[in-house]
Amino acid sequence: MKSASRKASSLRAFAMGGLLLLLCAPLFAADEHAAGTQPAPQLKDVKEAVASDPLLQAMLAELKRSKAQLKMENVPAPYYIDYRVTQLEEYAAEAIFGALRNEQRLRVRLLRAVVRVGDYKQDSYFQQGQGMSDVMPLDDDPIALRHQLWLATDQAYKNADEALTAKQALLKQYTVEHPVDDFARAPALQFIGPLIRLDAATERWRDLLIAASALYRNYPQVESLDASLRFTALNQYFVNSEGSVTRDGQSLYQLNLTGAAQAPDGMRLERSPYTMVATSSELPTPEQFTAEATKMLETLVRLRLAPVVEEEYRGPVLFAPDAASDVIALLIGGNVVGRKPSPGAPARTTGPFSNSYKSRVLPAFVSIVDDPTLTTFQSHSLVGSYAVDDEGVKAAPVTVIDKGELVNYLLGRQPIRDFPASNGHGRAGPVGPAFPNVGNLIVRASETASPEELMRRMLEMCKEQGKPYGYLVETLGGRLAPRLLYRVWVNDGHMELVRGAVFNQLDTRTLRNNLIAVGNDPEVSNRPGSVPSTVISPSLLLDELEVRRADSAKEKLPDYPPPPLTARRTDR
Amino acid sequence: MPAMPKTVSGIALRLLLLAGLALSLVSWAAPPAAEQRPSLLLSAMQQELQRATKELAKADPPPYFISYSVYDQQLIVLVGSQGSLMNAFSGSRRDADVRMRVGSSALDNTHGESRPSGLTSGALPIVDERDAIARVLWQLTDREYKRAAPAYLNVKTNAAVRTEEEDKSPDFSQETPLTKVEMGHASFPVDRPAWEEKVRRYSSYFRKYPEVYQSTVILQISQTKMYFTSSEGSALEGPGTLVRLIVQAETRADDGMELLRVESFQAATPDQLPGENEISAKIEKMAADLKALRAAPVAEPFDGPALLSGRAAAVFFHEVLGHRLEGHRQRDENEGQTFTKKVGQQVLPGFLTVVDDPTLEQLNGTPLGGHYDFDEEGVLANRVEIIQNGVLKNFLMSRMPIQNFGKSNGHGRAQPGLMPTGRQGNLIVSSTRTVPDAQLRWKLIEEIKKQGMTYGLYFEDVQGGFTLTGRALPQAFQVLPVIVWRVYADGRPDELVRGVDIVGTPLTALNRIALTGDTPQVFNGICGAESGSVPVSAAAPAMLFSELEVQKRAHSHTRPPILPPPGFESLSWGAPAKASPASEVRP
Repeated sequence: MKSASRKASSLRAFAMGGLLLLLCAPLFAADEHAAGTQPAPQLKDVKEAVASDPLLQAMLAELKRSKAQLKMENVPAPYYIDYRVTQLEEYAAEAIFGALRNEQRLRVRLLRAVVRVGDYKQDSYFQQGQGMSDVMPLDDDPIALRHQLWLATDQAYKNADEALTAKQALLKQYTVEHPVDDFARAPALQFIGPLIRLDAATERWRDLLIAASALYRNYPQVESLDASLRFTALNQYFVNSEGSVTRDGQSLYQLNLTGAAQAPDGMRLERSPYTMVATSSELPTPEQFTAEATKMLETLVRLRLAPVVEEEYRGPVLFAPDAASDVIALLIGGNVVGRKPSPGAPARTTGPFSNSYKSRVLPAFVSIVDDPTLTTFQSHSLVGSYAVDDEGVKAAPVTVIDKGELVNYLLGRQPIRDFPASNGHGRAGPVGPAFPNVGNLIVRASETASPEELMRRMLEMCKEQGKPYGYLVETLGGRLAPRLLYRVWVNDGHMELVRGAVFNQLDTRTLRNNLIAVGNDPEVSNRPGSVPSTVISPSLLLDELEVRRADSAKEKLPDYPPPPLTARRTDR
Repeated sequence: MPAMPKTVSGIALRLLLLAGLALSLVSWAAPPAAEQRPSLLLSAMQQELQRATKELAKADPPPYFISYSVYDQQLIVLVGSQGSLMNAFSGSRRDADVRMRVGSSALDNTHGESRPSGLTSGALPIVDERDAIARVLWQLTDREYKRAAPAYLNVKTNAAVRTEEEDKSPDFSQETPLTKVEMGHASFPVDRPAWEEKVRRYSSYFRKYPEVYQSTVILQISQTKMYFTSSEGSALEGPGTLVRLIVQAETRADDGMELLRVESFQAATPDQLPGENEISAKIEKMAADLKALRAAPVAEPFDGPALLSGRAAAVFFHEVLGHRLEGHRQRDENEGQTFTKKVGQQVLPGFLTVVDDPTLEQLNGTPLGGHYDFDEEGVLANRVEIIQNGVLKNFLMSRMPIQNFGKSNGHGRAQPGLMPTGRQGNLIVSSTRTVPDAQLRWKLIEEIKKQGMTYGLYFEDVQGGFTLTGRALPQAFQVLPVIVWRVYADGRPDELVRGVDIVGTPLTALNRIALTGDTPQVFNGICGAESGSVPVSAAAPAMLFSELEVQKRAHSHTRPPILPPPGFESLSWGAPAKASPASEVRP
């Protein structure tokens, strides 16, 4: 709850500050006179924050020195330098079969330093020129902090020089049809958010994992059961030679359950539901968590005895919001990011939408917006929210698909053809380079229907096509393979759990041509990854999709039975 | 490739891999009455192993051997640099290795290239919950059987269609099962805040030296307990500790050559590590060495008389001889097999004797990192006389037999998760042709004069080495010296040089040893090979070689840092390092 309100208030402050935070003058030049032209409170906040933050001070001191003095003979001085330090505090635990297997607390500071040689048009950001990563001191000792920054900057500069030479040599081999700048200009941004700390009751949660993973005792057919958690508080510090100074924090609370069983025919069955929220107050209650584990175990037991799908089905398929969000994340989210193709390639971006600008990629009643500035949806926190991206650019909502037409891309500071500027979507894992990424990807539709109505439409289509049943997908596993898949029978509407299915050609073309209706039931899907993101999607109805029997080998059953359980759980 | 890299680089996570197991301080002489009841963990392992053995006996083909090893590890790693902590980690883990053999000891699933099929690993709960432990072991065992059984069928087919192997030894030796449950030393408490402060302080000493660009102090405290049980009836439990303090410092010469100094200290408990005065003196010496090395000239390729300090000679023997006497290399037809057919023959000068003795905890007061009581196959550690008065007598044996050597001698070692092979423990070289250490330098000069050369080389310290033992590549080795002096015949002062590596081929190099000093020196390090990283020691007296070859070391051409380090902003920086008069007379 605490971190929730802190986060909310920081964002409010940001919103109220609005443009006032976009100080144009670099901090080094922002002397008292410059400050006078800006509303005092904001600049004072930043100055005060810097004054009380030894890490920011060290970053600024070393940046200033490098900017003024870093220069090798016969090599141009850097035209751009940035430092990104991620302070990570993490608690992770895992229990298996009612016993703790792993428990770790981690506190680490990680650095990524980028030095660019050349200019905005053509620079060294290529191969080894994409920056240096290292660990940073945990103590706020100015000399120790600056020492690491000094070494990383020096190495990054030398690498940049080599990278620019290599890039220029490579580009000589190609004719570049549409020259695009290497680096987008961006206004200097000063933003200080509050520092975030973990505030969950870690011991209580550890005990809950142990209790939940002990439920295997009631389900002899389930082979393994594992419960784990990862609570993370990230504080990110960013400074660059253009005058940006930003600091912001985010917390992530994740709970995972993993269960596996084997059907009598040897088919491996897995379920791995998880919960991911941005505030500890949103974590489930112990009762909810136990209920979630029980539900997973029950479905595994039912899956074991569920019939295997028939060899081929081609007809309507309804995706519930959970499954739909996986489809949207992979087929839309993965393709609306504006990644510049490798040098010499003529395409605008990479992936299936690389040449789809101003083309129809979805039905005309669907639009897709990515809005990292949205912090909650239906009172659920969104882990894809942020105020400032990892390149020090202010987050902004972007409509990428408007009435079915691809009109924009999510962009960081690497321009692509026709899109010269960042729209605040340059994101990075703690030590990784920044890439354009999804924040909160939202499916919007001009016409929606209730889930019941969608189900009715699906069954109607089945009836027309003479099919005895249609398919409802509740959850998906990796590579969009169904985990919980039901046949919905036309005659009486009953749902029958089935197993062993894969979809054939569930791709962007199918989504464009076969998506015929969306629900009015959007749900939040917070998604882990090196860059956390959120997808908000309602149910999706496809008029035709092929459901096939999976072509996977069935494993042998265990060669001997599991050990018998002792009467008491603890036998010390 | 077997190597002995003593260099451990910065990030503590990597240390997790090196934190292996050094089992120590268990007295095998303890009377049976002192044995204690097996822990819940060992009894759960035994119970589940018995069940697996009985149940899988019904399978076709059935396993003829199963063992469980569990490594229970408490690890603390503290990393400091420039007066600050960079990483502070503590955690516990229990790793289980399930080993299984299907077929018969004459031919089983681990034969030849199929050896990895003999093992499946996984993490166990870190608490003593019998049901959970049993269930994870069951899963691992079932998975291992599903690897081992098809592998055995494969091996059988291959054996039928391929030409006969030269060494027709069985795949697994017969050994007497061991039962020993030793509580040994109770685990010691670690005052973590106090050690964090010390690591900060030690690392801050380098702040005085702007020419030391990178420096790290790493404290690694690993308290491991190994549990072992097998279907042959072995049941072992033994504690072990590994406490290492590693100090690492790096600079770069103006030509880009990386220059590295590493000092490591090893003890049974953190309190037995050297005191602050000794460590600060070592750090000062490291910094002074690096400063001198930056200014030192690059050595030229050379072939002539050389003196190796005890530590350098110890690494030389570990690489050149030790790795070639590991048992499994004698039957693997991809191996060079330098010594396979030389048993009973003179392979070293007659004044040298080499033993590998893992039962030794220390040598002249220096703790030995290669000490253990039983190996990873549950075989009692044994002192093995491998070379007696220059004559090859024995090999370092795991339970993989070789021609004429059918038994293990307790040298089957591995890091958790890998199949054991014959490995070194504490390799100790002794000599009967000695001169007092103080006379070695004069003996070197005599040799230089005898050969009519201007100078010889003195190798004061090394950072490690590596060797190639395979057949496909030349039988080469390299020892990586860090402090090397040119010793002149005409009485000029000794001159520090940099950028040389000792190279050569084993049989030639070993027979150029003329005489030795009289005091053994110990090199403790981590040795990497096919069966992973294991702590080892090598000890030897200083040695005079009538001939040794050195080559120029490949190095980076990256310049030293462009700006001076923070805190030295006003220092005049970037001026070429001046050669300081190296007038020291050594040793």
